[in-house]
Amino acid sequence: MIDFLVAPFDRPYMARALVEAGILGALCGAVGVYILLRRLAFLTDAITHTVFPGVVVGFLVSGRAGIVPGALVCAVVAAALFTTGAATRRVNEDATLAVLLTAFFAVGVVLVSRQRSYTADLTAFLFGHVLTINVTDIVVTAVVAALAGLTLLGLGKELLLHAFDRQWARSVGYRVTLLDLLGNMMIALVVVAAVQAVGTVLVIAMLVVPAATARLLSDRLGLIVAVAMGIGILGSWLGLCVSYEASVGHDVRLAAGATIVLVLVAGYALVLLGQAVRRATQPTAEAQR
Amino acid sequence: MTLFTSLGDGYVRRALIEVVIVGVLCGAVGVQVVLRRLSFLTTALTHATFPGVVIASLLGLGLVLGAGLFGVLVVAVVAGLTGPRGRERGREASSVIAVVLSGGFALGMALQSTQDGFSRDLTAFLVGSVLTVQPGDIVVSAVTALIVLGVLVALRKELLLGAFDPDGLAAAGYPTRRLDLALLLVIEATVVTSLPAVGTIMAVALIAGPAATARLWCERTAPMTAVAIGIGVASGVIGLAVSDQWNIAAGGAIVLTVAAFFVVSLAVRSLSPGEARVRPSARQKSAGRPTYSG
Amino acid sequence: MPPPDDASIIFDHASISYGGSPVLEQVHGTVRGGEIVALVGPNGAGKSTLIKAVLGLVPVASGSITVLGRRPAEARREVAYVPQADALDPDFPISVAQVVLMGRYRRIGWLRRPGRSDRAAAEAALAAVGLEHRAADRFGRLSGGQRQRVLLARAIAMQPAALVLDEPFNGVDAVSQEALLDAIRALVAGGAAVLVSTHDLGLAQLTCDGVCLLNRRQFGFGPPGDVLTPEFLRAAYGGAALELGDRGLILARS
Repeated sequence: MIDFLVAPFDRPYMARALVEAGILGALCGAVGVYILLRRLAFLTDAITHTVFPGVVVGFLVSGRAGIVPGALVCAVVAAALFTTGAATRRVNEDATLAVLLTAFFAVGVVLVSRQRSYTADLTAFLFGHVLTINVTDIVVTAVVAALAGLTLLGLGKELLLHAFDRQWARSVGYRVTLLDLLGNMMIALVVVAAVQAVGTVLVIAMLVVPAATARLLSDRLGLIVAVAMGIGILGSWLGLCVSYEASVGHDVRLAAGATIVLVLVAGYALVLLGQAVRRATQPTAEAQR
Repeated sequence: MTLFTSLGDGYVRRALIEVVIVGVLCGAVGVQVVLRRLSFLTTALTHATFPGVVIASLLGLGLVLGAGLFGVLVVAVVAGLTGPRGRERGREASSVIAVVLSGGFALGMALQSTQDGFSRDLTAFLVGSVLTVQPGDIVVSAVTALIVLGVLVALRKELLLGAFDPDGLAAAGYPTRRLDLALLLVIEATVVTSLPAVGTIMAVALIAGPAATARLWCERTAPMTAVAIGIGVASGVIGLAVSDQWNIAAGGAIVLTVAAFFVVSLAVRSLSPGEARVRPSARQKSAGRPTYSG
Repeated sequence: MPPPDDASIIFDHASISYGGSPVLEQVHGTVRGGEIVALVGPNGAGKSTLIKAVLGLVPVASGSITVLGRRPAEARREVAYVPQADALDPDFPISVAQVVLMGRYRRIGWLRRPGRSDRAAAEAALAAVGLEHRAADRFGRLSGGQRQRVLLARAIAMQPAALVLDEPFNGVDAVSQEALLDAIRALVAGGAAVLVSTHDLGLAQLTCDGVCLLNRRQFGFGPPGDVLTPEFLRAAYGGAALELGDRGLILARS
């Protein structure tokens, strides 16, 4: 068992993958709770789609080094657009978001289709390449994690109030649109950090699943954040181990990023199942605690 | 316009027929999705259907068939998890949907990664490949479209009531859970049918986009449906033409056309005077929540 | 510290519009420190709009509203608002104590943590509404009336000079209603000015020092006995009224 969990990381590329995925897991766990509280799962999904053309353009312009800057520009623009766009109520935000996010994505698809050999590159953008992560990527992720961590710690109480009772926050004098923007920018930054490791498609999983699982397990905010971060780290670790074991031990090639997500989702499913079983074996109604 | 000259080619004719059928279907179903604010749910359905497509291709089954069967499974999971009891157990609908969405995608991706030729096929599933659509696919699309449209027409009163006032629907004695399930199946069938045209990631644009655009122009559902269908078909045809002319991915071109219609309509309607933008009051709890009994 | 003897909320022929058309006209009167004034009127009368204007969330089209000697938007830190509790997400993982502590955030300021005095003020506020034993419970687990009391406690924790409540008694059980009234009276005794919107005319008559009767315009602003008269009520509610001697009045639509 220990072998399974530790041995793969003798290899430098796996060790780097673990560090990257671990930091990302903790970061996404914490920010994921914020997304859950503000019910921004769809907005987050939208940002992950809008990042794609930025990634493509960045790559076309300056190769691998261009991916993060490209993603950053798109993510920031998207976050700002969605924040200001939410102010209009003519069409429900739901449909607007859906159309805009796929449109951005379509731009990326179209750009890629104009290049030769486009399929291979497309996949790397969409699904990440955690196994070929380098030290620069890890540094970028660590910086984003530090920024997000500082934001959550320093402005935690204001962000909590804003998430819980936006109208009252406004009545007390907080500029809620700025808080909206701040929160959305934080999400955008995290999405960008995660793009390298797990790609644009799977970022939403890393953000939502650990937090959703933690919410099933606890009612207390502090605990939820801690558990979510823990699950993020553990899921990354386990996912890498499973993916490694499958490819080295059983000759089955399982993409690492996807495996991490599957482990996280399996965790969520297990908790759901466990709770259902517990409820079924306790015939009397639980006390209100 | 090169599209017209290439009409002689079988594959272009087939592609054209396919996008017209899909355009009609998506436009009509899209009205329900937009009125009930189910765009996120639809996005999740599109993403979660992806593994079905992969599994089908791994097993050598028809893609649409495989996606369809898997789609039913996805619908069952979503319906089960977002039922009325879900809320009490800390399971808030949008996070459940996000979990299903990402889980489905990861599953599909993991499965596909076990195969060679991984990238090429993956792309086709994800972004569509309408130019390689076969006559058999067209038949399936047409049949599905007929069935779905039939259901929409038969249930139009109930669907309208349910979209506008789900509590009223329940109070009137309708079997709301079954109607919701029927709607989920209809949306899923539409998603699966649009796979060849635009793939999984962008299907939601073709479903929600034309209807959202129609909503900007129409105040009642009947004209809204007609306009949505019109835009759906127009987007498909224009998208194909653009793709043919400039040699870009058809799926992408179609979606960009949908977006263009939408954005232009949004701009034009925002500029029209006398439309007071009344903010819904904080007490309207149902405003902004998806109207789906779950 | 609430300013003594200062007229806290002054309406000077204030009119409010929404998108070009007037929704509330000619509101004129004063809510003094140490007084409770009820805002009454039928649904759609503009009570919520007026409250939003006092909070500076909605602009005044003509005339003025002066809160604590300033423009409404500038006085926000000392005006505590108590909205309706049912607009909040009952699943949110937040405890009662955390909600009440939110009232102290403006005082604490950005980046700083709540201190001992803040926690003490929050505990006192929660005790003022009689819910100190529920401090650790999740907010959503409380009953509607209890949640409303928690929101009042949050406002009390602000130690405000003025308090504005939007229909706090709607659907609230009798115990909670009494608790709410007790806490409000305590604040008033301390010198705060209180404006509460309600459609409970009996409550307005019995509990409040003044009444502002609205239905898209003001029909009266003054002591309950002067304003809650059959003719004013009939005019404001647009219907017939059946008088019960001089004990009471039943309003009916014509």
